[in-house]
Amino acid sequence: MVKFHRHILSNGLRVLVHRDETTPLAAVNILYDVGARDEHPERTGFAHLFEHLMFEGSANVPRFDYELQHAGGENNAFTTNDITNYYLSLPAQNLETAFWLESDRMLALAFSSEKLLTQQNVVTEEYRQSYLNQPYGDAWLLMRPLAYDVHPYRWATIGKDISHIRDATLQDVKDFFHTYYHPANAILTVTGNVEESRVFELAEKWFGDIPPGPLNIRKLPPEPLQKKEKRLSAKRDVPQHQIYMTFHMCARNHPDFHTADLISDMLANGESSRLPARLLHDQKVFSEVNAYVTGNLDPGLLVIAGKPHLETDPAEAEDMLWKEAYDLVANAVTERELQKVKNRVEASQTYSESNVMAKAMNLAYYELQGDAGLYNKQIENYQRVKAEDIQRVAGEIFRRDNLSVLHYGNSGTVK
Amino acid sequence: MPDRTQPPSRQLIAGIPYIKPLGAKLGNGLPVYFLEGGTEEFVKIDLVFFAGSFFQNKPLVSFATTRLLRSGTSAKSRLEINELLDYYSAHLQLDAQKDIVSVSMYVLNKHLEPTLALLAMILQDPVFPEDEMRTFLKNQQQIHIINQKKVDHLARTYFGELVYGEQHPYGYRLKPENFDMVEREDLLAFHQRWFTAGNAFCIVSGRLPAKMEKMIATHLGNLSAHPIETAKPPQFQMLTSGSRKVKLEMPEALQSAIRIGKQLFNRTHPAFHRFKIANALLGGYFGSRLMQNIRQEKGYTYGITSNIISLVRSGYFFIATQVGADVSEAAREEIYRELKNLREKPATPDEMESLKNYLSGSFLRSFDGPFSQAERFKELLVFGLDHSHYDEYLQTLKTITPELIMATAADYLNEDGMMEVVAGRRDS
Repeated sequence: MVKFHRHILSNGLRVLVHRDETTPLAAVNILYDVGARDEHPERTGFAHLFEHLMFEGSANVPRFDYELQHAGGENNAFTTNDITNYYLSLPAQNLETAFWLESDRMLALAFSSEKLLTQQNVVTEEYRQSYLNQPYGDAWLLMRPLAYDVHPYRWATIGKDISHIRDATLQDVKDFFHTYYHPANAILTVTGNVEESRVFELAEKWFGDIPPGPLNIRKLPPEPLQKKEKRLSAKRDVPQHQIYMTFHMCARNHPDFHTADLISDMLANGESSRLPARLLHDQKVFSEVNAYVTGNLDPGLLVIAGKPHLETDPAEAEDMLWKEAYDLVANAVTERELQKVKNRVEASQTYSESNVMAKAMNLAYYELQGDAGLYNKQIENYQRVKAEDIQRVAGEIFRRDNLSVLHYGNSGTVK
Repeated sequence: MPDRTQPPSRQLIAGIPYIKPLGAKLGNGLPVYFLEGGTEEFVKIDLVFFAGSFFQNKPLVSFATTRLLRSGTSAKSRLEINELLDYYSAHLQLDAQKDIVSVSMYVLNKHLEPTLALLAMILQDPVFPEDEMRTFLKNQQQIHIINQKKVDHLARTYFGELVYGEQHPYGYRLKPENFDMVEREDLLAFHQRWFTAGNAFCIVSGRLPAKMEKMIATHLGNLSAHPIETAKPPQFQMLTSGSRKVKLEMPEALQSAIRIGKQLFNRTHPAFHRFKIANALLGGYFGSRLMQNIRQEKGYTYGITSNIISLVRSGYFFIATQVGADVSEAAREEIYRELKNLREKPATPDEMESLKNYLSGSFLRSFDGPFSQAERFKELLVFGLDHSHYDEYLQTLKTITPELIMATAADYLNEDGMMEVVAGRRDS
């Protein structure tokens, strides 16, 4: 149970505090309600490129990292299809430094074309390092536009193509900042060895005079119901074939989300789960198998992936993955198996609560979904799922016309 | 309105709030340490065996023995073991390194009793079924083959071979055929010889339940106590001199992985702390000279880092990065320039203050919570040290000067003996 207090500033900034006196540290998280889904289809990768520029200095703080390091702090950030999240931790006595730094870059980021150019180069290298110069690295660049026809989840946070990153202009940077980086579009959480009233005072002091910007009201095109199976085959020089299967599923705030998440856990979370136990150990047709949900705020995907051994026919391997998925539709799961995956949720939730940084991130993320208190209801929400829910939701997800398949490998002949 | 032009006051940390370990020795000789702390009803049990790859006579034996502990005992099959671990949501990590094998289990207190019993059972009585072993090795072989397509993986493994020589287990580079040569008897013998109470220690951390000590004694007290005097590690020759370069051509690569470094020493060496600090200035954090120059000014890379790694019988220093193939020569030159600067260019007062404050904050962070404290304590036990080692680090951090950093770099980071691997595409 993570107790927290909430205070909303007059400019709309939501501030949450959780006190944990067992640590000498404080953790500060700022979530901006903007992600890759908000990008223009011809300027993809921009939210992430922008995240890099947030570390390049602001009006009164030319060197963000330097000043934080000076206070003994450490920070990082990540961009997803849904959000951009900045997080730092530092010795609790230096908490005010975090407010100084974060408020200054929200108020007045420094823009410069030299810095933009350098970060365009850095992100280009990131694109190469993580996506192009890795075996299987571009699989998701192919998979997303296969699975999604219209929703912006059809591109990855890194962007559709390096040229999009190269083409970004300083004006794009300024517009993006003024549209999305302001108090009413952000959530600030502070956890650790801090006093609630002191945190709210600091929030008023440093963020209170930052003017709010426009509310981010999204009009994203919803993904239409998929009508038939989609297939793609990519020929690549990799040592082993890999199969990716995706199925559309509900959004994170849907009542069936927890059920779908447990379904993916039954398939491939833990050595005793179905895909490793059956396809890797018993039948020995795969060397690696995986299943998970993307867990997006808009309707996401349930993913099943695997690398069949060289002597296994890829088409047969795909069929075996499908049969394992369909088994959850055809046959009821036992209470024991259901309890097993629920127990794992409880353990990982409890583990996340033992870390101040994880608590700060989670509170912000659930607040974005409507109420930080949802964080404390997670275990209960998973406990409520029944065996018949598993079968019903599996039936909705595991349909051939809801499936997109990518065959990635040397053969490249699957139609 | 606040004065935004001035930073708020910043204070250095006063010290580290160590959790005091309470020690005990079980009847079979296993030393056990208890670290109490944390907010959640959760514990971590770490068992460390001095049974890393250094002790094996054949490649992969330590790794396979460790990872296959959960693949069956005389009483329980792989599936039964894993089903129980998963049912009680115990997270088991089986990690074989160069010197040690780490077996760690995270578990909710309410599931401690049955999972601890299971943990003891797989440590005492693994049978390494032939069939399970073959499946495991075949799958690992596939992963190994895929890794040969990664420039950073190639640079890392060839670098190890350059630094320690192909005969030494610290430097041995795995080949695909190694995965076909492991026999079940190798694992049984290795387990029997090295996975003993007298060759191990245990750390229990977290919110400890009342009966913790008794539970540990009941279950881990049964581990076999073979005296380790009879088990001598194999002897190996370590390469110690010369500087060598390797270029691995990968015509398709978009980036080149660069790794530069040399054999040095471990954390028991008198110069370790000051070297660690000098290394941080060079490439040990985001504000380091390498990161600022090669990423933040030049945009050649997504990241660059340098580090010193402690092994029980040695230690080594390395710089690693992946850069655009077209700038790999330019990046190499900048790396050598920064090494020279470290020897010759004193850190500015700004650099010194940022470095010291960052490192002390980062040090504090590395002790946050009982599980991190257990990790830091483990590091001490492996090298036969105690917490005064960490106090000495903080003391060195307080007193170190730009001159001492330069002198340290001059002593240990001259180009003589520097090894270099570049994997990727040559500049066109």
